[in-house]
Amino acid sequence: MTAISCKALCRTFQQGEVKITGLDQVTIDIDDGEFVCLSGPSGSGKTTLLNAMGGLDTPDSGQITVNSQRIDHLSKGEMADMRLHKIGFVFQAYNLIPVLTAQENIEFVMQVQGVPATKRHIKSLEVLKEVGLEGAADRLPSQLSGGQQQRVAVARAIVSKPTLILADEPTANLDTKTASQLMDLFVELNRHHKITFVISTHDQRIMTYARRLIKMQDGKIISDEKLSSAIQ
Amino acid sequence: MSIILRLAWRNLWRHKRRTWLTVSAMVFSNVLLVFMISLQLGTYKMMIDNTLNAFSGHIQVQHHLYNDDPKIRYSIPEIIQLTGQLQHALGSDAVSARASAFALASSEQRSYGIQIIGVQPQSEFKVSTIPGLVKEGRYLSDPYAEEIVIGKVLARNLKVKVGDELTLLGSGRDGSFAAGIVKIAGIYESGLTDLDRGMVEMPLLYFQQLFVMENQGHAIVVNVPDLFEVNQWQQKIIQQIKVQPELLALNWMELQPGLLQAIQADMSSAWFMYGILIILVAFSVLNTQLMSVLERTREFGITMALGLKPGKLARLIILETGLMASLGLLLGCLIGFLITLYYQRYGFYYPGMEEMAIKFNLPDRMYPSASWLSVLFGPLIVYLFSMLATLYPALRLYFLRPVDAMRAA
Amino acid sequence: MQTPIKTITILAWRNLWRNYRRTFIMLAAITVGAWAMIFMTALMRGMVDEMIKDGIRSLPGHVQIHHPLYRDDPSITNSLSAPSKQLLTALKQDDVIAWSTRVRVPAVISSERDSRGIILVGIDPVAERSITNTADNISEGRFLTDKLDNGLVIGAALAKRLDTQPGKRVVVMSQDPDNEIADRGFRIVGLYQATIEAMEENTIYAARDTVQKLLKMGDQISEVVILGKDYRDVSTLTENIKSAAANDTEVLPWQELDTYLGTMLKVMDGFVFVWIVVIFLALSFGLANTLIMAVFERVREIGLMQALGMRPSGILYQFMLEAFFLLTIGLGIGNIAAVASIKPLESGIDLSVVAEGMAMMGAGSTLYPALYISDIILANIIVIILGLLTSLVPAWRASRYDPVEAITKT
Repeated sequence: MTAISCKALCRTFQQGEVKITGLDQVTIDIDDGEFVCLSGPSGSGKTTLLNAMGGLDTPDSGQITVNSQRIDHLSKGEMADMRLHKIGFVFQAYNLIPVLTAQENIEFVMQVQGVPATKRHIKSLEVLKEVGLEGAADRLPSQLSGGQQQRVAVARAIVSKPTLILADEPTANLDTKTASQLMDLFVELNRHHKITFVISTHDQRIMTYARRLIKMQDGKIISDEKLSSAIQ
Repeated sequence: MSIILRLAWRNLWRHKRRTWLTVSAMVFSNVLLVFMISLQLGTYKMMIDNTLNAFSGHIQVQHHLYNDDPKIRYSIPEIIQLTGQLQHALGSDAVSARASAFALASSEQRSYGIQIIGVQPQSEFKVSTIPGLVKEGRYLSDPYAEEIVIGKVLARNLKVKVGDELTLLGSGRDGSFAAGIVKIAGIYESGLTDLDRGMVEMPLLYFQQLFVMENQGHAIVVNVPDLFEVNQWQQKIIQQIKVQPELLALNWMELQPGLLQAIQADMSSAWFMYGILIILVAFSVLNTQLMSVLERTREFGITMALGLKPGKLARLIILETGLMASLGLLLGCLIGFLITLYYQRYGFYYPGMEEMAIKFNLPDRMYPSASWLSVLFGPLIVYLFSMLATLYPALRLYFLRPVDAMRAA
Repeated sequence: MQTPIKTITILAWRNLWRNYRRTFIMLAAITVGAWAMIFMTALMRGMVDEMIKDGIRSLPGHVQIHHPLYRDDPSITNSLSAPSKQLLTALKQDDVIAWSTRVRVPAVISSERDSRGIILVGIDPVAERSITNTADNISEGRFLTDKLDNGLVIGAALAKRLDTQPGKRVVVMSQDPDNEIADRGFRIVGLYQATIEAMEENTIYAARDTVQKLLKMGDQISEVVILGKDYRDVSTLTENIKSAAANDTEVLPWQELDTYLGTMLKVMDGFVFVWIVVIFLALSFGLANTLIMAVFERVREIGLMQALGMRPSGILYQFMLEAFFLLTIGLGIGNIAAVASIKPLESGIDLSVVAEGMAMMGAGSTLYPALYISDIILANIIVIILGLLTSLVPAWRASRYDPVEAITKT
């Protein structure tokens, strides 16, 4: 089944007096359970595409379907609900709410979803264990290292069992070792929980994890290949 | 413009909205202060002028016991000569002699207890507004005439009109029975019920005859053209009456302590309110400048690492506040002044004011009066407190260590 | 999906203390503002209350009946007959606490030394006790005992003016209904004191029947004074008395008898409101500033929370709640500070330095602050409502941030 389907997406930004093309007629289908890397130089449109898929941004034209639901016409509130229930996000940095502890950050999404407290506690501890941070439940983001913060973000992304996780340069601020640990975690989650991953990156090492590599330039997809040599 | 001034000015506008909000807080209180202080000063002046001009005058010469205990026997001898002497010495004709007594006034139908004032018809109008307030008939003219001017309410209560006669019964200075019949020459209306009901005037010479006063009176009233010259005139008068130790020259504050105290009481409650406003503005400034220092910690660290002394940075912060406060001062004074000017022309009114106004001899509209003092005083204090409020954020800079500062987020 | 209140509460509360310096400064400002609102209001209320109580005591009563012409022309000819049966029934109703009939005419009092114009009041000493407090403020001698007492009670200040004292005789002179001078010697039996000196100087008391006999007025009276339950609400009492009193009489409540006092009460309500709003406005700039800064610093988190699925309304409520916490804590401390600073002053603040000025305003020289629950509630409600309205703008702006822009903001 198709997880995300984009048809002829266009998006331009106004920066001062210059018009910048973010997306130019992008059409792409991503199936359930895929592990996709979006690559390309900065400004190529990776993040714009990711934001459009996640319903953070609305394209100027084109259609986006997530789990067979059109999302390009939703209101802000409906978009928020869609993100809440179907999509997990991992960003480059500032992933966590500073005033909440690691566990509370993970519970945040469930809290907004209205999950009862006991269930939240059990699940949040479960995922913390899964990402290897059992001991850090009560720490504030400022007391965690960059890699730990990203793992908390991943834990939060998977806790409500989304079908899709969108990660925008998740390893950009991490050292090589931590970065590969994070990627291993992604691959494992993809395999065990059948979560679809779309990761944007311009890091060559990350791309080696991909089973499908989409290259972008100037808002267009310039290549889309399935890789069998991926580290899996 | 020096570079540091330019730097300060630009820093201010890095957070436009915050700066404007802080300036607005200053403008708000400055406008309020300018208007309120102008209104207060205008009202006080009117209160003083109306009360003093109506009757009591700015300075009075009296027997030293009379003010505390106004008894008929505490009188000034040779009063007409002394009045002439003072007129001459002061070079002013706004000097007039008076005497005062209580009596029962009876018309054909009614009797009321009243206060009778003996006045010099030729000079009384220079020290009192009552002669000008005669609405029916005329004011006194002949210094010997057995005539009287009464208030409108009294005329109504006694059921008399101009030309009617009144019988007066009282006691003379020597305790003897004083009785006389006078003709009503005129009826005045001051609008002050107590005055219009209870006070009448007659020529001093007839008064002296009626109450056995033999060239004596109770007060020599002096009007001073400018309130600020009262003390000077008082000194001159004291020189003149030195030879008569039983006499005193009292200024309006001693004559009407209530007036000054009412002003003082009003001032203290007003200043309590102004003080609160000023403190709240100071908090606003403190908040803004502390934020501005905290968010620039990193930047300051770098400039300090480059060799700038904390003192310079502190001065920069103070200069920024100074600029902001100057803006607030300028706008506040300007807007406040314009609003004051408008009301100075058209008068200020709020419901329920008439009743209060009457108590203080005021018209039913108030006219603020803008002056350098009233416009600048409040805003300058706001300025001062704004500068004081900036001391804490500025002093923090002295304790900033460049390395820590640069590490700050 | 709406964000649960608990989540929003936790976020708002923790965010409030992130920049604790800013929060403390704002709290201090709100506290000072709230304190000043309540403190100043209590002082002003206290002054006006005393003025009104004094005023009602010297009127006296809440409602008075007069001859229609008496107030303009307080002469003996404008007097009333003794209360009719119908009026007596009305005066026995529950809403009347006390009532009394009085003769009240202008007169001249003379001692051996001096004479003065005064108001001679003929009272029923027993009934008068429950209406005025003159009987309790006798500084020398005694108060009148009954309707037939032959003595005279005058103010201490007047005694000084007349150079006289209890035990001495004075002559009181007035007119009878035929405009004949009626005079009579009285022995001064007591001196009273009043909060305002002018009153001591111009009002003297004698027994009603003695005065009626002196003025040859039979059982005629000048006024009926009636004390109701609450001076703030006298309209029903006035109506009841009006319907029972004779047609050719004038029945007026105290607000109309003394319009200065009547308007003072209204002016006071207006003042309280204006004062609260002015203080709030002075605070509002700082409040708006604090919230704008808070929003500004947290743009990225706002974007993150939106990306994670929090609706814009959740963001809005979060900032509103933060403002609400700030306001309620500040108000709470301010209220406590105000009550704590007023309580010790309730025994009275001495203002005798400006006594004559206060007298000019119609107030005594001791100020008793009056803390009204209704004023406190009004102040708090106004600050909370206007405060939340002020916060609405920055909070709304925060909720409108575009998540993409917010997250990428550096």
